[in-house]
Amino acid sequence: MVILVLMVSVIYSLPNLYTSYPALEVNDNNKVDLVQLINIIDPTINPKDVIKEDNKFIFKFSSSKNQLDAFNKLSMSNTKTNYTLTSHTNLPAWLKSIDAYPMFLGLDLKGGVHFLLQVDRDNIKTNLLREISDDVKDILIENKFRYDSFYKTKEKVIVSFDIDKPISEIIKKINEVIPDILISKIDNDADIKLEIFPSEDLISRDIDSSLAKNLTILRSRVDELGVAQPILQKQGKDRIIVQLPGLQDSTRAKGILGSTATLEFRLTKGTPEDWYASKISGTPVINSSVLYDQRDTSPILLSRKVIVGGADIKGANSGFDSSTNTPAVFVNLSDYGASRMLETTSKNIGSRMAVIFVEKNKKEVINVATIREAFSKSFQITGLDINEATDLAILLRSGALSAPMEIVEERTVGPSLGESNILAGKNSMYFGLFLVGLFMLIYYRLFGFIANIALIANIIIIAAILSIFQATLTLSGIAGIVLTVGMAVDANVLIFERIREEIRNGISPNASIYAGYQKAFSTISDANITTLIAAIALLTIGTGAVKGFAITLVVGILSSMFTSIVGTRALVSIIYERKNNKGLSI
Amino acid sequence: MFKLISSSSNYNFLGQKKIAIAISAFLVIISLTSFITKGLNWGIDFSSGYIIQLKFDKEVNISEIRTAFEDNGVTDSVMQSFGSNNEIIIKLKEESNFNKDSVNIFLLDTLSETHPFKILKLEFVGAQIGDELREKGEWAMLVALLSILVYIGFRFELLFGVGAIIALIHDVVITLGFFSLLQIEFNLSVLSAILAVIGYSLNDTIVVYDRIRENINIIKTNSYVDILNISINQTLSRTLITSLTTMFVLLSLFILGGSAVEYFALAMMIGILIGTYSSIFVASTSLYFLGANAEQRNDL
Repeated sequence: MVILVLMVSVIYSLPNLYTSYPALEVNDNNKVDLVQLINIIDPTINPKDVIKEDNKFIFKFSSSKNQLDAFNKLSMSNTKTNYTLTSHTNLPAWLKSIDAYPMFLGLDLKGGVHFLLQVDRDNIKTNLLREISDDVKDILIENKFRYDSFYKTKEKVIVSFDIDKPISEIIKKINEVIPDILISKIDNDADIKLEIFPSEDLISRDIDSSLAKNLTILRSRVDELGVAQPILQKQGKDRIIVQLPGLQDSTRAKGILGSTATLEFRLTKGTPEDWYASKISGTPVINSSVLYDQRDTSPILLSRKVIVGGADIKGANSGFDSSTNTPAVFVNLSDYGASRMLETTSKNIGSRMAVIFVEKNKKEVINVATIREAFSKSFQITGLDINEATDLAILLRSGALSAPMEIVEERTVGPSLGESNILAGKNSMYFGLFLVGLFMLIYYRLFGFIANIALIANIIIIAAILSIFQATLTLSGIAGIVLTVGMAVDANVLIFERIREEIRNGISPNASIYAGYQKAFSTISDANITTLIAAIALLTIGTGAVKGFAITLVVGILSSMFTSIVGTRALVSIIYERKNNKGLSI
Repeated sequence: MFKLISSSSNYNFLGQKKIAIAISAFLVIISLTSFITKGLNWGIDFSSGYIIQLKFDKEVNISEIRTAFEDNGVTDSVMQSFGSNNEIIIKLKEESNFNKDSVNIFLLDTLSETHPFKILKLEFVGAQIGDELREKGEWAMLVALLSILVYIGFRFELLFGVGAIIALIHDVVITLGFFSLLQIEFNLSVLSAILAVIGYSLNDTIVVYDRIRENINIIKTNSYVDILNISINQTLSRTLITSLTTMFVLLSLFILGGSAVEYFALAMMIGILIGTYSSIFVASTSLYFLGANAEQRNDL
């Protein structure tokens, strides 16, 4: 059995020995050919190798810097194709066929960005309250229940009535139409007040559904960032984890993930003279208009009426305007949006229309153009730089977040730090292994040698288990393995000390071996089970670094019990069992 | 045969219990005093804020960078150079002049013209997350201690469990005291080290207890104190050897493992030193005073 376990472990830990290269995957959708791609990438950066593999080209690079440079070149070149940052390992086919892949490296080893986003609970509450307030007002008006006052605070809607109103009937009616709200009645002599607010249940259900929608939207946004193997998952009640391996700069990711940016289209009002007059007086000089800033900070007056807003935009692409060659976003409207646009533009030929960029509470006019002819479904917008155009197109395509999300945690590790972390981890493991091995060899001689073999087998088994389950290896995980190396010999130390003791008590070598293993066993298992308990307690904290450490510690303890008890016993038997030993090399 | 400890070692460990108690009491009191007066130097994992590690294209003077930050309205930054002179680590509070969305832009605006750089690491932890991590960490520690108490109570007897827990709390308090006294940053990796120390130190204690349990049934003639002493002596070389091999790997992690595991290794080294001492002196002394008097018990 020992041999079987070892053989399987060796095979499954093999993929980790193959070097993995930073790579770029480019989908070959018959729109690009290799020569074209190489022309874009090649001039300064020399890809190490190019492989063609089921419909995609894989460019391998010698460093992640080259990889990122190439990635940036491709994205600037505006080539119509899909490409992702990834890593590539030259695994032989037979390893792939048994699903043997290298361990999954954590962001601290590979470099990348980790975000924890949280739904804005207050925003959800405010929106719910607004809906409730509108509904309640409708019900009251519809049923002709006259109220004295109706107002909304941050927490609740407060309606007051004359004392002679059928209050219980009103409450019943409201509760029938909107079930999940709480209504409390405050009676005093002058009037009766109803305080209405959403139930906790309703709020958390709303958070739940917003989170689910946001997850889908974030996923489509992340897909546009060109990152291989991104991880997006829900965490807890109101959070989403986003992990983007290989990404170096978190600026753009932050802008795109948390963004609620969208567009609005409105007609302008008045003349530039009116605009400046409004700016000086601080209020719009024309009725039903609003004062806005343009990009160059000059003022502009716009109609209060929005022709088309973000919800009516169905699709968007970025590219270049064919006549002026400036960056542009090509927008597609929904049917409803298109008919509204057609109606407005056909009535207002010759007037000017403004495009407003809306992000959170900021609104900025990015472009004002004269309507030359009526248009409806698709058109283009200029006035942005190339990066803004690309990002805006992504945001418009993915749709608006159903509730704003805030970044509550960020961890960015640059690829170069990742590489040096791997090196540091490896070095400390080799050096620690060397010291422990040397000590065991000197102290226990042949038995020490056996323990060292068990130690190496232990590391191979840990690597195999982590690879088979595709667990994520982090730097703290490596620390866990290194620690296991130090502690794994403990079981052998216990056994060997016990054997020495038995020999001192004048018992024959073979009987000493037997007694040593037997007597040490319960100690070893007790000691290891308590360490396991501590490791499992660590797992419950469940956050990145701690989790990685705890997982390797658990795996390490279990596999070290196997190798240092079962494994060494087998080796000792092979060497000593059949002989009539005079003494042991211990 | 190569030996650390003579096989006929017969140190009277319990005879030194007064000295051991004095040393332990001294260390625990210092640690607790330091907690109360200085507290722990919480890293951003538990307190919220930013840690940014920058690598500049050429060597920089920290005071220049600090001035650049101050010119842009950030005065509460803590900076230190890291390794070479072109890498620095900057710590910032959450309520700085920028927010987590604009921190990258702030850095670019402030530094990129005069001191071109690359971001090696950027971490941000919000206040809520920091509190949560702290709470989770405290829970994990409590759960670990309780489940260990239950397990030992079940495998040995309750008093052994209490003895082991006393030794553990002793180790944890002194290790934390060390971090408090020297104001070394206490972050998530230090917390995992502390939990690992709990596991490790317990491992040691259990080996000793296991031997005590075994000897109680074999050695009928000696007094309880003798049984404790004999058991500690019998396991002494194992205790020291395992601590030694663990120290080897921790030392190599400390020296070669880089900044991310540096504090982890440091916390574990201290914990293991204390843990080795406590499994020899504290665990048995507390067992002695708890009076787990096995002479009257045959069910062990």
